[in-house]
Amino acid sequence: MNEEYRALMHRSEVAVSVELQTQDMTLNIGPQHPSTHGVLRLVAQVDGERISSVEPVIGYMHRGYEKLAEVRTYAQMTALVNRIDWVSGFASEVPFIVAVEKLMGIEPPERAQWIRLILTELFRISSHMVFTSSYPLELGATTPLFHVLRERERVLELIEGMTGGRFHPNFNRVGGIKPAAGGGKTQKKVSMDIPEGWLEATRAAMERVLLSTEQSDTLVTGNELFKARTVGVGVIPGNKAIEYGLSGPNLRASGVPFDLRKHEFHLPYDQVDFNVISAPGGDCYDRYWVRLQEIRESVKIVLQAIDKIPEGPLRAKAPRVLKVPKGQIYVRGENPKGEFGYYLISEGGQKPYRLKIRSTSFSNLSILPWVLKGALVPDLVAVMGSLDFVLGDVDR
Amino acid sequence: MNDQPDATEPLEEEVRDPYLEYGTALAERLGGRAVVEHDTIRIYVDRSNWVETIRRARDEEGLDFFSWLTGIDWSKDVEVGDTVAEPDELEERFEVMCRLSSVEGVAGAHFIAALPKDDAVIDSITGVFGGAEWHEREAHDMFGIEFTGNPNLSPIYLPEGFIGHPLLKSYPLLAREVKPWPGTVDVEDMPPEPEEPAGGGEA
Repeated sequence: MNEEYRALMHRSEVAVSVELQTQDMTLNIGPQHPSTHGVLRLVAQVDGERISSVEPVIGYMHRGYEKLAEVRTYAQMTALVNRIDWVSGFASEVPFIVAVEKLMGIEPPERAQWIRLILTELFRISSHMVFTSSYPLELGATTPLFHVLRERERVLELIEGMTGGRFHPNFNRVGGIKPAAGGGKTQKKVSMDIPEGWLEATRAAMERVLLSTEQSDTLVTGNELFKARTVGVGVIPGNKAIEYGLSGPNLRASGVPFDLRKHEFHLPYDQVDFNVISAPGGDCYDRYWVRLQEIRESVKIVLQAIDKIPEGPLRAKAPRVLKVPKGQIYVRGENPKGEFGYYLISEGGQKPYRLKIRSTSFSNLSILPWVLKGALVPDLVAVMGSLDFVLGDVDR
Repeated sequence: MNDQPDATEPLEEEVRDPYLEYGTALAERLGGRAVVEHDTIRIYVDRSNWVETIRRARDEEGLDFFSWLTGIDWSKDVEVGDTVAEPDELEERFEVMCRLSSVEGVAGAHFIAALPKDDAVIDSITGVFGGAEWHEREAHDMFGIEFTGNPNLSPIYLPEGFIGHPLLKSYPLLAREVKPWPGTVDVEDMPPEPEEPAGGGEA
């Protein structure tokens, strides 16, 4: 064996004896990735299949609503605030309007309050159905999407029948609600009411919604593949959820049965009977399960409200030009995604001096770096989807 | 409705305001000054006690739910929007405001620390509530407030290289600099009619 060959042999031995080194890889997801529900970007450091750290990059959709609020009159603001979380626009209108009403000392008539309650619940059903349809899709199940969205369409039709808009109702007015769409000429008092047959149609649609939750049960809830992807994945313990300000179904799935509907009564939730759904596990499966059960509770609320809704006017007297007395107020409500609140500072003018928007998804998303640390890459989409955020709600 | 006391009842004088009582007692225990209006409790604390107050509110008062944190810019002059009601009496300052509440009931309070404009620095509460990190980054973006001890005070909303702090009252609304608003578009003078019809329609 000649020297040259011997040297070559030696070198190859050296190469083999060197330990395999792995290097952290930067994995960039988004901002146009379908599983991010919009324009969220994640910069993840991955060590093989493990995520060692993840840094969400947000702000692609920052529209500056808090600044815009300072140059809009109160009446103009409802059109903006229902675009914060566009899946549940009506639910984010209500706390703002209530804040203005409280500062002005206006009490909306009871019928208007009940209509607000029904619409809030319809939007909750609609929002949760978006989740129960799209979450299995993110995990690879296509069928539930079509079944659930088909029934959700009925809810959207109801919303459209009442408000004229499917996503952006812009339906609240200071002192009550605006005359419903299809109510005829608004000058006539009799026709300034909810459309004829709307309550009956709602009752019928609620049955379809219940059927769809049963379909979800048979297709998804007990599905072994779905369980394998979600049970024990992305566990958030209750104390961490509280520390990060998680609210809504995300908090309740971590074993904290806190629901603002049982505590803040600017809508007549104290007069309807419903359960607060919570689950102890804090994993993706529980977050799915809580939302599915909440659809059923919302149906219960809507059906009770239809029976209880009183006759009467839809709107209290309010000045045409809204001048809100000086004061500071915080009003929060249970948005489908959790605590949604407005801290309103009025200095007596026609515009807010400062409006802080406590949007739910911003806090709900802020736990992402914590919960994804050490998770597997394939679980990333499962965990992210289970938090049910809307990017408009994150960025405002 | 909703158990609100009826203003016409003679009992009104005796009706207790639970929020006022709770807020005053809370401020006394934590060493702050309480202002309660519209069921909204504000507790003003000194910035040197900021972290300590937040920690005690969490540990001793059960206000363990971190809701949000933000800033307020109290300014005499504003570039856009309305000014304060009495600009002459206003003491210009930043306020850092943090809402803590409970997951057991309605208890909750807004803790406020005032910062002078030329020294907008306050200790970070990320050691007490991990969730405050993003909120402090947002307040840093929007107001330029420094949070000492925040592990990652990089921009959260603003793009890299962005100059200015948008929620400052001195910050103009750039869209309006380009196009006046509101309503000005609608009442803009029509362009003068040409003397003769331009005829033809050639573009």
